[in-house]
Amino acid sequence: MSMKKLLALLLAVVMVLSVVACTPKDPTQGTDPTGNEGTNPTGTNPTEPAGPEVVVFEGDYTYTDYVSTLSANWNIHTYETSDESYPIEFLTSGLYTFIFNDELNALEGKDPYEGYVIVPEMAAEMPIDVTETIKASRPEFGIPADATEGYAYIIKLNPDACWDDGTPIKAVDWVESMKRLLDPKLQNYRAGGYYEGGFCIAGAQAYANAGQTVITDNGVSGAYAVADLVKGADGAYTTPDGQPVWIAFDYPIDWCGGNSLKDYADAYGTGYFGMENFEKLVALMDEEGKIVCTDENLALLSSMTTTNPNWGETDADLPNYLVYQEVFPEFSYDGVGLYETGEYEITLVLNKALKGFQLLYNLTGSWLVKTDVYDACLKQEGDAWFSTYCTSAETTPSYGPYIMSDYQMDKGMHFVKNENWWGYSDGKHVYMDPVDGKIYPMYMSTEIDTVVVTEVATAKMMFLKGQLMTYGLQTEDYGAYRSSEFCHFTPGQAVYFLILNGNMEMIKEREAAADFDQTKYDLETMTLNSFHRALNLSYDRSEYSSEFNPAQSPAFGLVGTAYIYDPDTGARYRDSDQAKQVLCDVYGIDASKHESLDAAVATITGYDPVAAKGWFAKAYEEALAAGYVTDTNNDGKSDQMIEMIYSASADPSEKMQKIMKWLGDCANEAAAGTGFEGKISVVPSAPLGNDWSTYIKAGQTDCVLGGWNGSAMDPYGLMEVYTNPSYQYDAEWFDSTSINLTLNLRGEDITMNLMQWQQCMTGTAIEVNGKTYNFGDGIGTYEERLTIMAAIEKEILLGYNYLPMTQAGSMFLLTQKAFYVVEEYNPVMGRGGIAYLRYNYNDQAWDTYVASQPNGELAY
Amino acid sequence: MFKYTLQRILYMMLVFFIITMMCFILVRMLPPLPLDPMRPETTVVAARREAMGYNKPYLVQFGIFLKNIFTDFNWGVSEKLYYGQEVVKVFVTKMPPTMLVNLYSILWTIPVGIGLGIFAALKKNSLIDYGISTLTMVTISVPSFVYAFLVQYFFSYKLSWFPFLMNSGEEYFTWPMFVSMLPAVLSLSFGTIAGFTRTTRAELTEVLTSDFMLLARTKGLTKAQATIRHAMKNCMVVVLPSIFGSFIGILSGSMIIERIFGVPGIGGLTLNAINGRDYNIFMLTTCFYTAIGLAASLVVDISYGFIDPRIRMGSKK
Repeated sequence: MSMKKLLALLLAVVMVLSVVACTPKDPTQGTDPTGNEGTNPTGTNPTEPAGPEVVVFEGDYTYTDYVSTLSANWNIHTYETSDESYPIEFLTSGLYTFIFNDELNALEGKDPYEGYVIVPEMAAEMPIDVTETIKASRPEFGIPADATEGYAYIIKLNPDACWDDGTPIKAVDWVESMKRLLDPKLQNYRAGGYYEGGFCIAGAQAYANAGQTVITDNGVSGAYAVADLVKGADGAYTTPDGQPVWIAFDYPIDWCGGNSLKDYADAYGTGYFGMENFEKLVALMDEEGKIVCTDENLALLSSMTTTNPNWGETDADLPNYLVYQEVFPEFSYDGVGLYETGEYEITLVLNKALKGFQLLYNLTGSWLVKTDVYDACLKQEGDAWFSTYCTSAETTPSYGPYIMSDYQMDKGMHFVKNENWWGYSDGKHVYMDPVDGKIYPMYMSTEIDTVVVTEVATAKMMFLKGQLMTYGLQTEDYGAYRSSEFCHFTPGQAVYFLILNGNMEMIKEREAAADFDQTKYDLETMTLNSFHRALNLSYDRSEYSSEFNPAQSPAFGLVGTAYIYDPDTGARYRDSDQAKQVLCDVYGIDASKHESLDAAVATITGYDPVAAKGWFAKAYEEALAAGYVTDTNNDGKSDQMIEMIYSASADPSEKMQKIMKWLGDCANEAAAGTGFEGKISVVPSAPLGNDWSTYIKAGQTDCVLGGWNGSAMDPYGLMEVYTNPSYQYDAEWFDSTSINLTLNLRGEDITMNLMQWQQCMTGTAIEVNGKTYNFGDGIGTYEERLTIMAAIEKEILLGYNYLPMTQAGSMFLLTQKAFYVVEEYNPVMGRGGIAYLRYNYNDQAWDTYVASQPNGELAY
Repeated sequence: MFKYTLQRILYMMLVFFIITMMCFILVRMLPPLPLDPMRPETTVVAARREAMGYNKPYLVQFGIFLKNIFTDFNWGVSEKLYYGQEVVKVFVTKMPPTMLVNLYSILWTIPVGIGLGIFAALKKNSLIDYGISTLTMVTISVPSFVYAFLVQYFFSYKLSWFPFLMNSGEEYFTWPMFVSMLPAVLSLSFGTIAGFTRTTRAELTEVLTSDFMLLARTKGLTKAQATIRHAMKNCMVVVLPSIFGSFIGILSGSMIIERIFGVPGIGGLTLNAINGRDYNIFMLTTCFYTAIGLAASLVVDISYGFIDPRIRMGSKK
């Protein structure tokens, strides 16, 4: 070790020792790491070991917010929209909750505030798996015989939890609330969230639908194969219990992504389907688009879905197109897997195994309602039941950090601190500031005042006058405020990319049209990979985003920065080594020549006019050789123009016209000195409405800017849109089943095509060489799934049909009155919301400060 | 006169019924929002629609609608915006702010508008008249929401005289609440003032040049006396019905102004009902506006008979 390093180490040791000596208490010491010192007014208990001192604030701190639409219903059983869910975070708490990882709640391998942890809130501790016990004692829940974990849990409740009037919240409240949520007569909007999807409480569906008749999608339930069905005397199939079965022909089904088979057939026709019996099927439809399920009709369906290799299905897939009637018999709540096993203990039994993060995540929401108020708010209107629970301050009991003190329809709502909320005194709702190392209480706001402001201009003026605490920047504001220290960027889910046409078949068809002048224009060149690559390197993403979408940032991959690949820790896909290596590989960066992968990635701009020129020159040679373009006067330039038709949904706005011009100009600039110099242009199509995507998918137009949104915690699922022809924009010229990929996983080389890897990564068992592989959630490790995902992303990018341009995002100004403890946006935690908002001024000081500004107007 | 009034009321009710029926059926014919089969809530929404009678024939639905109204004045509950709440109650809570803002507006626009009109008429063909007339034309031509933005920018933002939005709460008769309503009141007033000014000036100008005015002056009345005693009376035959119309029209409010200044009134309710496809609320507000429009035209027509005895309403000759 060199002398310098030794000295540095010594210095570090001395500093650490001195800090320890000066610190009154080490927050990580003792049995209660978040306990309070004697001076702390928030829940001091002299018998408990004293913890670090929590900073105490004096005065009122009012959070002034605005919404464009004020919810009129925030009942957790019935809310539908994000407007309606707005007050819920103030008024409720979940059994578990997310908090940032800080020194008090450290996360291994993560710096403070880089991730999050899930901690008990209304629960007293983590769930206890009792699958084996419940399987033996309550066989009616149908826990699989071979299941040993993940199906049943005991959840001990926080005995300090209470309503805003001080009434304790006990197990019976949770059970009775669930009973009301699932009550079949109430048809509560949120009931389905507890029996469909991943979080399914045993018996919940049977109880919620008791006595009802519904049409069920067999593709979702997977209940029947054709062989399981019973053929009646009339030839029509029924379920074994005699319920009718139909072919969902023009009836939306999950197998078709929420569309109907007929929708697809109308859009793609012979490109994907056998269409010879299409009209016969149409003629057989009933009013709802269903067709009676008979052998003859199944044969017609089969002729459509199995004869065209592009759709590539077999008769084994036919059950996915079936729907059947389901009659739910009367069912008692006693059969529902949520029941009381102690005054402060509930038992949860699930239909599908769930554990770890996914279980806790599903329990961060709440279904708890105050049953006496709830029942008083119910009313019947015809055969339908309605509830006025949580439609006014009077009908809104709270068990969250705030109480709704006032509500005026379409005007505003006001919240004050819920003095009975246990979180203010349990010593656990504190955090350590990453800068000064002090302990601060969460929920510093003493009041929340939310008003309706419908006009953006009004909101901006109110913000500048200090009357609102945030203001979402509009396009016209970016110039003035994007560099402000109070401006915050929030990344969106989508990456916007430029999709390029490569459909040679359609292009030949277009060129063969009578009105197409092949001496002046050429389309075939657009299918050349070299041409796509040239375009990819011609665009300066930074210039593009600053010029046209200042809230967006340059993007180089298909997956945005907001996607988390490991929800247990909040690790983001784009931050992983695999994802970084993809970018280096695609953009030709040799990572070994840089200090680190991060440093290598930092050099990527996506813009290389020199390399682009090379690719244009190559594309020109290829086009000339293939006869796509000519050079009759031997001037080294194409006789034809490459006119790329942009798939426009409407008449292009001024901004869109500028974007198209920019796309063409950049290409021409990079092509200077090659045969395509001045020969490339981007022009709008006729307005195509919602068919713009159909046109680009069919190759009838040549480019468009698009993007996909996905679930922040499921980047793996997002890959389907690039490999499944049902979603792909480039399905006609990029066959994901034709590209094989060999990855070394679990100590062996496994070769599958792109689509198989994608399916395998998302839970489908794929058989290769007699061996079955499945890397789905909970089966494959995150590292394995990450490796697969990165490999797929790389292959798609190297196809150069999607050119990533920008990462979606938005910007807002945060008031000078307050700040977020965390600057960087976390896809799950955001910036911590109201819990982690800290104030620079209390209300009185703020008023004084604003008044002291010129004209009472704040400068940002 | 009584017979004429009765006849007009009956006609009004018939028109009201026809408009209501047309609106109801047309609204119910609109395709409902498509349901996403991939969402677990789909079956719930479908079942709820069934329970609310959306799959019954339109005339049956209309019959149920009328029966509920006539038997217990039940206009139904809000199915979307104010989930489960009785739409009548929602509507009633929205009435006071709309009425007050428009009432305040009318109350000061009448004297100002008429005063300016009289002044312009008396100063006919002078610079003052030209100035007022030009300003009137300009003011009438500009939509009221433009004034709203100007008022908000100058008076609320630059000068800080008024709050940006109407105050929250239901204590409508307090000074702070009154002050907070003034931006909306002002924005609504400019056009109305200009309207009254133009009508008054036009009528008074004509009356002032009548023969009877010359006679009044020749019998020794001063110009002021003649104007007040004779010209104004005749002028009001046209001006007063427009005031009645405005008074009744105040209930209808102004949708855009209400949104800009955060007035929680009927205008915003109607817009939200349309956007949110809350049919029951939409039907109530539509019926309300229809009734207001019909009542306003009836009151204006009848008022002519009261103001000017020479006008015989319903007379065949």
